Amino acid sequence: MSDDDRVEEFKQYVRGGGTIEPTDWMPDEYRQRLLRFVEMHANSEIMGALPERDWILRAPSLKRKLVLTAKIQDEVGHAQLLYRIAEDLGKPREQMFDDLVNGRTKFHNVFHYPTKTWADAGVIGWLVDAAAILSQSALLRTSYGPYARTMKRVCWEEAFHLKQGEDICLTLAGGSELQRSMLQEAINRWWEPLMMFHGPPTPPETDADLAWRIKTKPNDELRQEFLDRYVPQIREMGLTVPDPIVQKDPAAGRWAYSEPDWSKLYAVVSGSGPASAQRLGFRRLSYEEGAWVRNALTGRSLAAA
Amino acid sequence: MRVYEVFCQEAPGGQHIHAGNVLAPDIELACQYARNSFARRGEARRLWVVPRDAIREVADPDLLDPPGDHRYRMGRYFRAAVEKRKRLRAKYAKGPVA
Repeated sequence: MSDDDRVEEFKQYVRGGGTIEPTDWMPDEYRQRLLRFVEMHANSEIMGALPERDWILRAPSLKRKLVLTAKIQDEVGHAQLLYRIAEDLGKPREQMFDDLVNGRTKFHNVFHYPTKTWADAGVIGWLVDAAAILSQSALLRTSYGPYARTMKRVCWEEAFHLKQGEDICLTLAGGSELQRSMLQEAINRWWEPLMMFHGPPTPPETDADLAWRIKTKPNDELRQEFLDRYVPQIREMGLTVPDPIVQKDPAAGRWAYSEPDWSKLYAVVSGSGPASAQRLGFRRLSYEEGAWVRNALTGRSLAAA
Repeated sequence: MRVYEVFCQEAPGGQHIHAGNVLAPDIELACQYARNSFARRGEARRLWVVPRDAIREVADPDLLDPPGDHRYRMGRYFRAAVEKRKRLRAKYAKGPVA
């Protein structure tokens, strides 16, 4: 069989629902795309711990502090699971951390924004995690076996993240006018990043990650699922969505929304977001400050490092 | 002779689940015995055969389930959210209050 035939056979196999294991042969393009996708996912988990980390000390009660700490521990745990998948695909972890802190690889747009109030912690837990759960649930059917199995565990834990965030938002929504306006302002701040979260509406037939069944749902379908589930939930809390054209066309069954400026998304994920430099700076600092621990554990001397 | 533990993946993409063990003089025969014991009916997609002495059992409750109430790590801990949503839904059924 020629190489081209072998690649074609592989493509048909994954498109037909076949699962690939780490010891199976895979085309270079599949391995590279999968690695890039999983590495960005892993980066997002570890960078995603930082916006909420800012709120552990400022959370309004001991219970909220415990819950937020547990959630952040989960996110870092997800990064550990995902970096292991990426390592088995051939990229050493130190290289991945080095690329991350030097801006050579990306992480999700939503983690490039600052948090202003406690309501941001609620909106991140509820709506940002809701958007992430939709993507991650679609990944339960990815063609790469270890990734699909990892998503089972991740989605199970994310259910708790969403609930704790929703509980923060519902508490604020049932509180004073000041609390309600604080929540409304947080929703207003996060709406644009949320609409960008699932990426531009790339036609499914030109999306190579779909062709290899690394991901299983087109970007715009995930965004539609998000709007369908969460716009009604926001509105029934007596709050508004800061986009006047958001409404469902009952005939087409699709939600209208203002098209985000996609060049802005590319700029944000390339490191020009309002909090990109600060977050990467913090990540770099903890990476450098932890160097002696990694060296001690691996038996390397500081001099050799 | 060594004991080898056998893990079996039955469904494509599924987890490898512990099936049992075999006693064998080497890894090659351990794989044959594993096949004969646990995959005679084509039920296995893959087997993992691992020397038992490479496995460390961890069963310390202080490590696995440390003291303290950690129920808040489960989504169902936030049941009160259902009531909170109900109250808001009733209050704002006709849209935001001016």
